[in-house]
Amino acid sequence: MDRTWRHNPAFFALFVLLLCAFASGHAVAGSSKNVDYTEMSAEELAEYLIFKANGFDTDMKTQEGGTVRARLQQDKLQKTCSALNGGQIDSATAQKVTEMARENTAYPDGGIELGDWEKGQTIAENAYGYRVGHKIDDHEARQTGGLCINCHQMEEDKKIRSGTLGPSLIGYGETRGLTEQTKQYTYEVIYNPHQFFPCTKMPRFGANDFLSQDKIAHVMAYLLDPDSPVNQ
Amino acid sequence: MPKLMRPSRAGRNLLLAVPVATFALIGNASAQCVNCTNDAPKDILTNLIDQSNSDYLTQSPQNLMMMGNNPAYFVVDDGKALFERKRGPNNKSLETCDFGKGPGVLAGAYAEMPRYFEDTGRVMDLETRLVHCMKTIQGFPEDAPELTNRSQIRALMAYVAAQSNGYAWDPPMEHPLEKAMRDAGEAMFYRRSSILDFSCNTCHGETGKRIRASVLPNMNNPKEWTKAVSWPAQRVGKSSVRSPYQRVRGCYWQMRKGRINRRSDAAIAIMSFWKDAARGEPAILPDLKR
Repeated sequence: MDRTWRHNPAFFALFVLLLCAFASGHAVAGSSKNVDYTEMSAEELAEYLIFKANGFDTDMKTQEGGTVRARLQQDKLQKTCSALNGGQIDSATAQKVTEMARENTAYPDGGIELGDWEKGQTIAENAYGYRVGHKIDDHEARQTGGLCINCHQMEEDKKIRSGTLGPSLIGYGETRGLTEQTKQYTYEVIYNPHQFFPCTKMPRFGANDFLSQDKIAHVMAYLLDPDSPVNQ
Repeated sequence: MPKLMRPSRAGRNLLLAVPVATFALIGNASAQCVNCTNDAPKDILTNLIDQSNSDYLTQSPQNLMMMGNNPAYFVVDDGKALFERKRGPNNKSLETCDFGKGPGVLAGAYAEMPRYFEDTGRVMDLETRLVHCMKTIQGFPEDAPELTNRSQIRALMAYVAAQSNGYAWDPPMEHPLEKAMRDAGEAMFYRRSSILDFSCNTCHGETGKRIRASVLPNMNNPKEWTKAVSWPAQRVGKSSVRSPYQRVRGCYWQMRKGRINRRSDAAIAIMSFWKDAARGEPAILPDLKR
């Protein structure tokens, strides 16, 4: 059967015509019914693929008590910085982001104090926590960390296994001194670095509730305490 | 298109430890090679290193040394056997599957994926296309366990992908949907979200930067990026062959953005952007990675 019609030129031509008609009818449609991917902007299509085309497991629960959907939704700062597409920030956007970040910064009730540098070291070298998906970080079983060492060199003898996405922080407290100003600046950079470095790659550890006030205090001690190996 | 050349008996005896696929690939590539090189993966990488002075490409001398004996070649062989085996309700092999260059044409096909397929009206990557052929040619029903057998599908992918070793990445951008998916993938690449504010660009926008001890590939540098997107590959740290989807999934997991879904258009869009960013540089398949 298959053979006979395919070898008949007239029928074959008809078949090809039908196939083309069928294909062109579908040419503008994406995989989801009645949605034309080519009519959307790149950003609109990205949103559609993430949230509406089963791109992510958006209903999955997260450790902070939300969902993956909530995590994937962008706030104003994320949206503004994403729009740079990796390029240099202009002064108007920098101004806007800096203001956004300042408005968004909160301070600990009892003032900014240093914690315990040894605890801070453990937190700085720990990258566990808040991952969900094919594997899920178990916050009951393990402490969550601050991932600092993933991007910053902090101790001379750990240099080769420390990241370089961010600047080296070796000798951070020693060069800056332990004053009220350095304490406040360090706190603000950890809490929301965009007030000094608009659209920096560094996370907003405080503003995003990734690190508790206690943990921030310990990491600050690790950076600023004269006894910390960062300053040896 | 020429069939895969069988290695000579003498050749096989000379290098018993190296799986058959190695020879088959080299044989195939030398038979017809347009917009590609006949070099083995190790030589392709060595050439890229000579041209680019990249910390990313040179970070593992041990892996470079091991590339000729990449364990992934065994998986490629398994994939070949599975590809040619008559399977499914229709008792057919996958040898008539069209990966975009015509039914049964494998040479260089993966280097031009993801691409738009007229028969489905959508942009498909290798995994999606393989599964499509398993359904349409072999007749596997939607709920067949074969369609979710990850190690088998990975082997099939490794085999088809290896037929593009040395071919320059060249995903077509002629159909409006190919362009739309690539552009959406770019938007996803720069899209910052979640509790760490990360995007793909956080790690893959500069050359020579590290996360801990790992040197990161830069998407803006095609000579680095071709290695970064050369999947499936043997992951030494995982002692197994991993798929391109697993790489994307792992990145999103580390970024705290949850799980990107297998065979989703979101994953295909990211891969369309990936491949476009590596355009013109030779694929390294199978690669050996940290």
